[in-house]
Amino acid sequence: MFSSFFRIIKFAFQNFYRNFWLAIVTITILVVTLFSITALIILNVISTQAVKSIEDKIDISIYFKTEAEDIQIIKTRSELLSLKEVKEVNLIDREQAMVFFKERHKDDPTILESVEILKENPFNSVLVVKAKNSEYYPEILKVLDKEEYNQIIEKKDFSDHKIIINKISIIKTKIEKIGLFVIAFFALIAALIVFNTVRIAIYTHRSEIKIMKLVGASNWFIRAPFLVEEFFYAIISFLILIAVFYPAIDFLQPHLNYFLEYDFDLISYFKANFALIFGLEFLTIIIINALSSFVAMKKYLKA
Amino acid sequence: MVKLENLSKIYQQDIVGLRNINLHIKPREFVSIVGQSGTGKSTLIKLLIAEERPTEGRITIGGWDITNIKRSQIPALRRQIGVVFQDFKLLPQKTVFENVAFAAQVCGESNRKIKRIVPSALRIVDLEDKADRYPRHLSGGEQQRVVIARSLIHRPKLLLADEPTGNLDSFNAQEIVDMLLRINDFGTTIILVTHNSEIVNSLKKRVITLDNGEIISDKKCGKYTL
Ligand SMILES: Nc1ncnc2c1ncn2[C@@H]1O[C@H](COP(=O)(O)OP(=O)(O)O)[C@@H](O)[C@H]1O
Ligand SMILES: [Mg+2]
Repeated sequence: MFSSFFRIIKFAFQNFYRNFWLAIVTITILVVTLFSITALIILNVISTQAVKSIEDKIDISIYFKTEAEDIQIIKTRSELLSLKEVKEVNLIDREQAMVFFKERHKDDPTILESVEILKENPFNSVLVVKAKNSEYYPEILKVLDKEEYNQIIEKKDFSDHKIIINKISIIKTKIEKIGLFVIAFFALIAALIVFNTVRIAIYTHRSEIKIMKLVGASNWFIRAPFLVEEFFYAIISFLILIAVFYPAIDFLQPHLNYFLEYDFDLISYFKANFALIFGLEFLTIIIINALSSFVAMKKYLKA
Repeated sequence: MVKLENLSKIYQQDIVGLRNINLHIKPREFVSIVGQSGTGKSTLIKLLIAEERPTEGRITIGGWDITNIKRSQIPALRRQIGVVFQDFKLLPQKTVFENVAFAAQVCGESNRKIKRIVPSALRIVDLEDKADRYPRHLSGGEQQRVVIARSLIHRPKLLLADEPTGNLDSFNAQEIVDMLLRINDFGTTIILVTHNSEIVNSLKKRVITLDNGEIISDKKCGKYTL
């Protein structure tokens, strides 16, 4: 049993170097297939992140009138919080608004001076409302239109970003469609090339195979070297993917941060989801290999 | 050892391979099968190793009914039968020893056992001293003897030889037949398919003559009569 295992490995390696160039072509197409899958995953992750980072910026700012009393503002806040659509409501009171303003204009002495001159704090309290989902904002705005609020609210500022989110979503669906097509295309080519590799390996070993059959080698022993060989190709192409992938991501990361406007660490994302992403990719490659090897063997390795 | 009952093999498009063959070969027998080409001799051999399936009838080998043998059972059958075919050659990139060892390796024999059984198989065909040579450095007769040694690796009870002397001159052919006789003496049943009338006549053993897929004569001590 043990010696059979080593013999199978040995035969598989013989297949490899006897059809060296074929092996290179097979590995190349497997690598290309893996890369197209990975590229699609990266694009998907980035576009999802982009939408999320923009969605995070959507909020409603409610500016209260100067005469609005603190108790009214706090009541408004808790009423808003009780809505199921609302995620969080932050209160920026007059003092804080002043602090923020000073902070923002700390390099501009003339503006700071003009504020100092005023006896009263010119700022009013603000409530910043974030919804659980960007779809909910119209609902929340409707609630704020009520008469009782009109008396204390100076103005409502709604930063929408709807158009840009829609644009990204459309691009995202397009990328997904084209990506799936590209993956299917490479997967098909990979399947055909693996099929052909096995066919040629069987052809190159036809004398050995004939002898094996006539002396009573079991079917699995005859087939195993071809499967092992294809499995070996799958592992090599997978290692190539990993070896190129992380440096590539490293290179991409700074450009990404610029684009996404806040820190999103692709590497940690891929590290955290390593098993899922690469496990699935490896499984895909193994399935492509196994299927086309089986079809080739079924066709060319008859009893 | 071999029992064929009403055995027929009809290939596609109604080509007759064998027709209604009834035959009983006892253990330790040495049987020659003769007949013109295309009369079904090779078909008979292929049926015995389950390379082809019979259209009708029954095949029993050593008490085992292999008529409808399962695919997974075929290796077990073939490990009990030695085969020497005309187109069943040696591997040119392997030495004599490696060629014989290959047959044992692919059937999962341990390396220790291989070191023991390969020399003994080579001894039977008198090629122990040429174990390290490559096939291209051997004569046609010697090559065929290596093939015989390889077929003996599982110590088969039945040896099938389909025109083993086909490409050989009469001296080398006689040498091969002497080997087969020796193996027969050890107790292995031999079925020899041949065209060579000289050999058949000198053997003075059972001869079965086929014509058009049918047995037309079966003589205890036969001559080549065509
Ligand atoms: N695989 C096959 N398919 C169709 N016909 C075949 C096949 N093998 C052999 N035959 C036919 O069966 C007949 C017997 O062939 P064979 O057994 O090879 O004869 P022999 O060995 O006596 O020369 C021939 O007519 C041959 O053409
Ligand atoms: Mg023939």
